[in-house]
Amino acid sequence: MAISAALPAGILFPEELLHSDWFAVLATFVAINTLMYGALTIAKILPKLHPGDWIRTRNQRSETRSIHPDAPAVNEATDFVNTRSRQGPGSG
Amino acid sequence: MGQGLFQRMVGIVIAVTVGGAAALLWFAISATGNSAAESRAEGIVLGVWRILYDSEAPQPRVILAAIAFALLLSAGVALLERRIANRSRRSANPRTPLAPKIVMAETRGVYAGPVTVTVLIPAHNEEASLPATIASLMSQSHRPERVIVVADNCTDATAALAREAGVEVFESVNNTKKKAGALNQALKWLLPGQGDNDVVMVMDADTSLDDGFLEAAVARLSNDRALMAVGGLFYGEEGHGIVGQFQRNEYIRYSREIGRRRGRVFVLTGTASIFRPRALRTVARGRGESIPGIRGDVYDTASLTEDNELTIALKSLGGLMISPMQCTVVTELMPNFRTLWAQRLRWQRGALENLGAYGATPQTLRYWAQQFGIGYGVIALSAYLLLVLLMVLSLDIWVWFPFWLGIGVVFSIERVVTAWKGGWRARLLAVTLFPELFFDMFLNVVYVRGIIDISLGRQAKWKHLNHAQTGETSKVQ
Repeated sequence: MAISAALPAGILFPEELLHSDWFAVLATFVAINTLMYGALTIAKILPKLHPGDWIRTRNQRSETRSIHPDAPAVNEATDFVNTRSRQGPGSG
Repeated sequence: MGQGLFQRMVGIVIAVTVGGAAALLWFAISATGNSAAESRAEGIVLGVWRILYDSEAPQPRVILAAIAFALLLSAGVALLERRIANRSRRSANPRTPLAPKIVMAETRGVYAGPVTVTVLIPAHNEEASLPATIASLMSQSHRPERVIVVADNCTDATAALAREAGVEVFESVNNTKKKAGALNQALKWLLPGQGDNDVVMVMDADTSLDDGFLEAAVARLSNDRALMAVGGLFYGEEGHGIVGQFQRNEYIRYSREIGRRRGRVFVLTGTASIFRPRALRTVARGRGESIPGIRGDVYDTASLTEDNELTIALKSLGGLMISPMQCTVVTELMPNFRTLWAQRLRWQRGALENLGAYGATPQTLRYWAQQFGIGYGVIALSAYLLLVLLMVLSLDIWVWFPFWLGIGVVFSIERVVTAWKGGWRARLLAVTLFPELFFDMFLNVVYVRGIIDISLGRQAKWKHLNHAQTGETSKVQ
């Protein structure tokens, strides 16, 4: 955040406004919100973790879910990985 | 349902909740009191933190508390959503007849033939975009078995162009219920002849499928007979200048988010989604009883956003659905802020009305959370802009706040990373941060307007823009 130097003091409001209690509360309110959104923003940048993948569970299905009754039962995790081969197009 | 008091209460409930949360934080800050006013040469003291003319960051425990609260809240919603989804998967409750456990039991050992695709394209005067839509279908690696254009009150060459392209035409009769009404008529005629694996795809006439869409969807539907729907991921078409780029970035981010959710669906988009006949029949049977609407109708004609409504209907009945990354479509964008305003107001209003119709249920939790999230975002962003404005208009010197500048950089990085796939134009727009901030503000104003409209019980208006008259595009409503 930067304040423009081109503006004279009190262009619209007196500088005392910034000393007022409610302004202090507003600034703090914005600061806390900024921190909260900042945390969520960092979470969005980082690759998403799927802790469930780290635990080797028996994801083997007890029966096939295929439309073919005699198809083999597949592993859910493998099934998912197999379908992540291609990414969608961008627009640039 | 739909016109009752609760319907109007939705907006008020959301406004009061997010306003209350913001007020709570405000009073908590006020209550901590200001530290002794410390007059510095050029500055002021800010409540609990001396951050304004200091490079000093807020107190570590406050930073940690704010971060922990935000992360816990978002993780909490995500975990709850997962838990609800998992419980629904294993449900044997007759109230959720589409739950995988029930569907699996009913179809065990039965082979209903290979997966075939029947495409329904609702079209109201879509002669401009229909040929490209049909061409994109015919060039798919897995060609659809049937393509049916649902011509609804057309006064142009839509039906003729469809026949010319060699596809079937179903003309709606005395339909006054727009797109949903036309689709209901077509589905009443089509569904009785569809077997368990003869899936129905509903797609907009102004949308083109990317190659591989149908192949990927058919593979999914073949591998999992309990899968009730496959939704498309939409990307924006080229053009429309900066307004188009704003929307393209928004859609890219949305698709990235769905990818990170591993295809777990927010909305089975009306641009292109595929349904198992069982799902559509069950919805039609459930309307008027376990879900809102008129018995026998697949689509709820009272809803402004029928795709969002159908998604909630299927989820409420326990249906399993996914949006795979390979199922992408390119859809038309709104060419200017006026049309975008109309489109988003309809989406927002529709989402709120659907929540009002379904109430607070485990299946709608995610949608409520989303509305609260946007609502709080409106307050947070407005407060931020107000603060900046007040400071700009009350000071006459440059002031740098390293800590907050650092956070600004983080926001910029997030914007760029999330729009990365959109190419250099998307990244350029993202890195400048402020244009997108104002676009967000535009969407926030739409959101607030939607809340006000629904709370005052104002009648929602339809706007159908005619290609021929205005050179603008629109969706069939």
